[in-house]
Amino acid sequence: MAVATTPVEQPAPEPVAEPAVPREIVLAIRGLRKRFDSTIAVAGIDLDVYAGSFFGVVGPNGAGKTTTLSMITGLLRPDAGSVTVHGADVWGDPVTAKRNMGVLPDRLRLFDRLTGAQLLYYSGVLRGLDRDTVVARTADLANAFGFEDALDRLVTDYSAGMTKKVALAAALIHSPRLLVLDEPFESVDPVSAANVTAILKRYVAAGGTVVLSSHSMDLIQRICDYVAVVVDGAVLDTGTMAKVRGDKTLEERFVELAGGRTDTEGMEWLHTFSA
Amino acid sequence: MVAHLLRLRLRLLGNSFRRSPWQLVALIVGLLYGLGMALVVASALFGLRLAPVSLAASAVTVFGAILVLGFLLVPLVFGTDDAMDPRTFAVYDIPTGRLATGLATASLVGVPAVAVALIGLAQIVTWARGLLPVLFAVVGAAVILATCLLSARVTTSLAAFLLSTRRSRDATGVLGIVILLLLAPGFISLLTVDWQHRGLSILEDVARVVGWTPLGAVWAAPADAAAGQVGAALLKELIAIAFVGGLWLAWRALVALMLVTPQRQAHARRYGGLGFFRLLPSSPTAAVAARSFTYWVRDARYHVSLLIIPIVPLILMLPLMIGGVPTNVLALLPVPVIALFLGWSIHNDIAYDNTAVWLHIASSVPGRADRLGRAIPALVVGIPVIVIASVTCSSLFGDPASLPAILGVGLGLLLSGLGFSSVMSAAFPYPAVRPGDSPFAQPQAAGSASAFIQSVSFIVTAVLAGPTFVFAFLFLIQGGDWGWAALVSGIALGTVILVAGVLLGGRIFERRSPAILAFTMRN
Repeated sequence: MAVATTPVEQPAPEPVAEPAVPREIVLAIRGLRKRFDSTIAVAGIDLDVYAGSFFGVVGPNGAGKTTTLSMITGLLRPDAGSVTVHGADVWGDPVTAKRNMGVLPDRLRLFDRLTGAQLLYYSGVLRGLDRDTVVARTADLANAFGFEDALDRLVTDYSAGMTKKVALAAALIHSPRLLVLDEPFESVDPVSAANVTAILKRYVAAGGTVVLSSHSMDLIQRICDYVAVVVDGAVLDTGTMAKVRGDKTLEERFVELAGGRTDTEGMEWLHTFSA
Repeated sequence: MVAHLLRLRLRLLGNSFRRSPWQLVALIVGLLYGLGMALVVASALFGLRLAPVSLAASAVTVFGAILVLGFLLVPLVFGTDDAMDPRTFAVYDIPTGRLATGLATASLVGVPAVAVALIGLAQIVTWARGLLPVLFAVVGAAVILATCLLSARVTTSLAAFLLSTRRSRDATGVLGIVILLLLAPGFISLLTVDWQHRGLSILEDVARVVGWTPLGAVWAAPADAAAGQVGAALLKELIAIAFVGGLWLAWRALVALMLVTPQRQAHARRYGGLGFFRLLPSSPTAAVAARSFTYWVRDARYHVSLLIIPIVPLILMLPLMIGGVPTNVLALLPVPVIALFLGWSIHNDIAYDNTAVWLHIASSVPGRADRLGRAIPALVVGIPVIVIASVTCSSLFGDPASLPAILGVGLGLLLSGLGFSSVMSAAFPYPAVRPGDSPFAQPQAAGSASAFIQSVSFIVTAVLAGPTFVFAFLFLIQGGDWGWAALVSGIALGTVILVAGVLLGGRIFERRSPAILAFTMRN
């Protein structure tokens, strides 16, 4: 494999080859389509996500990432196509499919008049956990994500990054088989992001599966072993990270796939500063 | 700068017409209502031209003072969403003075400004009784416009500035309710005044005092001129102009302060333990109930809809009382009204969650657990309230034997109301105030659809409790065991409707869940 040419030198993630014995496909997406009025948000997406993989979905703003993830998690009904989670169809057998999923949506509210502890408790009990389990896991999660001090404050008074962390903890509380995270690192500080990444990596090492979207290419390249590049509602390339990016960085490969860079010349006035 | 801001204001006004048809209808109704009210007032002012000076003076001064007070207070209590907030312009290098002038001038564009201008011009007609009164009234018209608009600017910005934290916003909701409660005795005492004989002298007394305050001075000055008291008129006009000057200085200072003051930081309070979640068992239904209880206690939007419940029967009873309906008959009113409102309280509960409802959908909470959980707080609060109110009202009615009938109607309305609301909130949610907004704020997309759904919910609930009403009515006419029939039918029929509503609403919730989430995202 050729050496990456980014200034930030990154060692490629360990598994490079496709697995010899196919692992279980924990998430299978077939022919997923969605249109809103006249705009086609998702134009036929097929994806397979293997159990135990760290799967990144990258794409420019408005590429249909959130729409796709919402259809996976059962929050948005697709016009056509199917989503199967651990053998259960999300739209045919939602109860089983959703039990296996932990969800972090982007830009949806939380029940933010609850305290952090109450929100985690609520999320756990709605998932069918009993009181003692939820209380024990709440303490563990607060400790791992570093918001013990905030457990007794209302979520509405949290900062954006703190809110994200609590929401992520709530997605983990019922130990799902598959985590679907929409922009989990947005507005999270670097220390917390490293912390969260470590937690997610341990989860994947233990056999869990993470599907996450982000527009930070560097981050996806660093933590994901599989990737899908989504542009205008279609998958332009997918596979292992090594296969997709080849001898380039993910960012270079992405810009190439997404249609090249806009010409940035012709803004000379920007270099003559106002008095 | 002034031209720019005027254009921006016009553009904002123009864009408000580029919305969905229903919003447009609501907007146009609002415009016509505002202008219509102004025209009604203007014609009254024309009419006052023919009235004697003393009567015209009192009427115009008191009305004018109330108008100015409205411009001062309404933004404070209701907290309007202000697109022309000075802080919006903080990133541009606009000198404070020019920004203050520009924003104040821009507020000339809009329905309130046009309405006030109409009223200001109309009061010139009232005082068209000689050169001096007209002169004072003409100057007054300009002062009136400036006073009203600057008042609204100052208090709107003050509200946006001081109430920028969640807690203070919540507090204003409760403050509004307290003001309403305080006003109620005021209204009652107003109604008990013998207006036919003493009304005019009271009005004159009030006007005499108010005419010397900044609120009423500008309205009273032409009247004094018309009565020949030019000195008093001059003094009042000066008071009014000084008030405008003061408002202007306040506005300028506020703009300067807001440009350099970032959003206020709230001091977050701590809540120990799990609260209601600790008290209730750990099943999805109980958890939804605990969450609803918590919101009833913590969310100002719920406070308002709960606190309004005891006020409504009072407001309904007042005109009847004045109309001479005997007190013991009036005692039959509160229980059904309270029960109806309690049952109705959850008919749009999902819209209150806003997009947070995704958690229920992603966790595949059983629909009936969601429905029943939301109804439990209303049951737990409602049943004791209705029992106590029924005992009280039956003794006020003067016949303890009426207790079963009153109780039956109350419980029947509560249970069937909750059942029907459980269906409505899953099937027909309509836009509500968003979490964290002022409870009195108007939702972005309120329209006649919401009014229609509200009326349907009320009417169907009343119809569903129909048999119980019939039994209670028979008791009133014939007495005997009909009261017990009302109690049994209220409880039995109500329970059946509640169970059916929870099950049906639950199925609708499960089937429509993506549509429900999509609705909340549009809201």
